[in-house]
Amino acid sequence: MPQYTLNIAHLYGDLMNTYGDYGNIIALRYYAEQIDVTVKTTVISLDNTFKSADFDFVLFGGGQDYEQTIVAKDLKSKAAELQHYIENDGTLLAICGGFQLLGSHMIMADGQRVDGIGALDLYTINMHDSQVKVAKDARLTGNIVIKNNQTGEVYHGFENHQGRTFIGDQELALGTVISGNGNNGMDNHEGIIHRNVFGSYFHGPILTRNGNLAKRILATSLSQKYPDINWEDNLKQLPTESF
Amino acid sequence: MGFKTTVAKLTAKSSYWLLHDILKRGGTSLPGKLAVKIDPTILKHIQQDFDLIVVTGTNGKTLTTALITRVLRAGDYDVITNPSGSNMIQGITGTLVTSKFKKNNGKRPIAVLEVDEANVALVASAIQPKMFVLTNIFRDQLDRYGEIYTTYDKIVSGIKYAPDAKVLANGDSPIFTRGDFKNPRIYFGFDHIQPQDYQSLTAPNNTDGILSPTDNSVLNYDFITYANLGKYRSHTDHFARPKLQYAVTSVDKLTPKYSEFTIDDTSLRIEIGGLYNIYNALSAFAVGREFNIAPEQIKSAFESNAQIFGRQEAINVDGKDVTIVLIKNPVGTNTVIDMMLTEPEPFSLMTLLNANYADGIDTSWIWDAEFEKLHTTKITAVATGGERYKDIQVRLKMAGFKDQAVYQDLNQIVTAIQKMPTKKVYIAATYTAMLQLRQQLSAAGYIKGGF
Repeated sequence: MPQYTLNIAHLYGDLMNTYGDYGNIIALRYYAEQIDVTVKTTVISLDNTFKSADFDFVLFGGGQDYEQTIVAKDLKSKAAELQHYIENDGTLLAICGGFQLLGSHMIMADGQRVDGIGALDLYTINMHDSQVKVAKDARLTGNIVIKNNQTGEVYHGFENHQGRTFIGDQELALGTVISGNGNNGMDNHEGIIHRNVFGSYFHGPILTRNGNLAKRILATSLSQKYPDINWEDNLKQLPTESF
Repeated sequence: MGFKTTVAKLTAKSSYWLLHDILKRGGTSLPGKLAVKIDPTILKHIQQDFDLIVVTGTNGKTLTTALITRVLRAGDYDVITNPSGSNMIQGITGTLVTSKFKKNNGKRPIAVLEVDEANVALVASAIQPKMFVLTNIFRDQLDRYGEIYTTYDKIVSGIKYAPDAKVLANGDSPIFTRGDFKNPRIYFGFDHIQPQDYQSLTAPNNTDGILSPTDNSVLNYDFITYANLGKYRSHTDHFARPKLQYAVTSVDKLTPKYSEFTIDDTSLRIEIGGLYNIYNALSAFAVGREFNIAPEQIKSAFESNAQIFGRQEAINVDGKDVTIVLIKNPVGTNTVIDMMLTEPEPFSLMTLLNANYADGIDTSWIWDAEFEKLHTTKITAVATGGERYKDIQVRLKMAGFKDQAVYQDLNQIVTAIQKMPTKKVYIAATYTAMLQLRQQLSAAGYIKGGF
């Protein structure tokens, strides 16, 4: 009888859902159910209130440019609470557009500037920018492999983005690019890890193809809520999907 | 007609003759490619002694084109059309250069062409279409096509070359109210739900295109047929689905093999399952009516020859009743899953995933297809395979199908089908996986005529 619950907020799950990112929730549920944890998902969209205390994990996926600009406007009303969630070590996975919107700002493909919430030290320019020295004017599309420098784990995924993201010197990348492009195709960084926030351009989706990371994120989320249980050990016993 | 054009046409015709009559291959792309190479402007020089209907959109182009062709022929029009897969500029050029109109009955002949979304402007800038038929726009292989609004903009840029052409569009799809062109718009859609049964719904979370163009609010629906298609309205202003000129007024029976329904007082039956295919029939009905073909003639065009519904193919493998369906994007796959939900018998499902260029090289989309829904059917066994067998295997495992036969190599596929425990077997395959599958089935003698 499951007595533990993981409450997931799928931020703008109806608008920022373009690249199969929902699969990350399917993967978390898959591992959670095997250790008797029930997963409950709530979509928090335009005009809904995000209450950080209600959630143990937040997924913020990628969307189309048009939807992303609409989301960026609405996100202002949720920015303070989201910031509060992040600074209190809440666990969050942000993919592609969601990753970009956690930074200070981004320049869309058409040159339009969109403000992010500035929770992380990162910003995004577009593929036409003169700073772009690799694949200028082209999307970065293809398979990607990175290595996480904390754990040595290797992650596989698919990237498809026009924006080029740069993380601050004090920020840690999710991994170093082994093959593919990563954040901008130039500095070998892919994604970000900031407290318990994981940002990335990885589709695939990232947690379905990289079971180690799924388990890490699940353990982190559950440990915040149920600190007396050794979730890492519980999860270690499960087979890990990695491909 | 200049010398270059003449040479280009002759080259196309002779290469078509060589391919078709001598080598017995069905291609139109190579002749088209040769012709375009010799004279890049060749399409502009084709004598426009026919009306052109362009059929485009993400899903349903092939069947819609085939149905329109049948309907118009039933109305005694002389029609040429392009074979499935020849929907880019080379294939279309090949079709137009090598086809001949035969009849001379006083009616202007018609070319009904399935056109890839990104090729609409290329075609329309060369030959002014009389009509555009827009089926739907869904997220489709993002690595190739990009986002839905980009796709629609490409189509609109083609429509602008023909300001007098009628635009026949799926009224249930909110995106088709967009676009700054002045052409007459005619909408078709579903009105099979009575107002007392209206609900207040929003589209499922894994669909795109759900914002109102007026104020960017999330659209509400009185009913949804599938994905983001249905009777939509804004909850903040007057934006709502436009008036439908042609409507499905009742859905009478849905089975995996056929559907019965009524369009504006005409009861119809098509020999193919899936609600989404009713949309294809509806658009063909609408085109037929626009060309003044009587509803009864359209009915007989649909019902007289079941061969037309070729895409969803039924074959017999040693007594097993095998249905092959193409999957390529989440909405298409979900409609296939919905079709399987109407299957009353126990069945097995084999899903084959490749990620070559023609399939889309990003496999992430399989996570937006709701395989979980299949638990409500009598699904008995699940097999997975293809070059990306691992992705699809894990997808179905995480959907709760723990026991699977896994086939990394499609060479074993005939044996795999024979091993399925049920008489009914569905095979859902991406494009190149389907070609490989058909090759295997053909080599083993289960299907005729190559692949």
